[in-house]
Amino acid sequence: MDGDSSTTDASQLGITGEYMASSHYVLQPQEDDGDENLNDHEDGSSKENYREQDIYLPIANVARIMKNAVPQTGKIAKDAKECVQECVSEFISFITSELYLQKFREAMKGEKGMAGVTVGEGLSEDLSEDSFTNPLPAGIITADGQQQNVMVYTTSYQQIPTVQQIQFS
Amino acid sequence: MKMSQNSSGKDDQASGSKKPISLPISRVRLIMKSSPDVSSINQDALFLTTKATELFVQHLALSSFNNGSGKETNSLSYSDLANTAQETETFHFLTDILPKKILAQDYLNSLEQMQEEEGADY
Repeated sequence: MDGDSSTTDASQLGITGEYMASSHYVLQPQEDDGDENLNDHEDGSSKENYREQDIYLPIANVARIMKNAVPQTGKIAKDAKECVQECVSEFISFITSELYLQKFREAMKGEKGMAGVTVGEGLSEDLSEDSFTNPLPAGIITADGQQQNVMVYTTSYQQIPTVQQIQFS
Repeated sequence: MKMSQNSSGKDDQASGSKKPISLPISRVRLIMKSSPDVSSINQDALFLTTKATELFVQHLALSSFNNGSGKETNSLSYSDLANTAQETETFHFLTDILPKKILAQDYLNSLEQMQEEEGADY
């Protein structure tokens, strides 16, 4: 895997950016404001033709989390909900494929089966800039003190007290 | 390790104070499995990914709201999200799927301008 989708430079991403200076655009048909004619379905949408049918989390759950996160919000645009839905799937795939497995392979280069190396991420309310773009710190969860080849995440979020984070030098 | 102490009902009014997670784990597993290299997924990793996703949604929504015009309009719009993805480094990985939208007419106008500037050697 080349890790080609791990670039964070916005000017290098996207194929539609060649006409514009730094960012890329999606053409929107001219219509009245506030008239969102996007369909309201869960999986798959043909908004962008280079993206195949993806699996999404239910939009009701996503919308509920958004509403709870921003309590003072009276209204969330429907296309905002849908696009967060897509971002969520992208986030999950991103973590699973890119960072997760890269670190695993790196770590397993020298050791055969014994070393339990995992990928952890620090997720707190004030995420640092590099949280999603840099290699993640490693942590292990051991069930009974033995080092196991268990790959899990550890987070620094306080609501998960059952997870211990052990630094592996 | 104690997981899911409470039965997963759908009746909590408070914002996530009773249930540990509010996203369907099975769906998260489906998305993870769509990655080509993944064979099996540890149950703990799955749970934490789901939890992390929840935090991600909160973080994205709140950042976009604070970053954009939400404070005046008291709403969250797509352009808030697109702007946040471009401006905040944490969300740069989303720029592919969160492009900014412009009217086709504006795009054509800018295109004309650029062609004029470059001498229109098209």
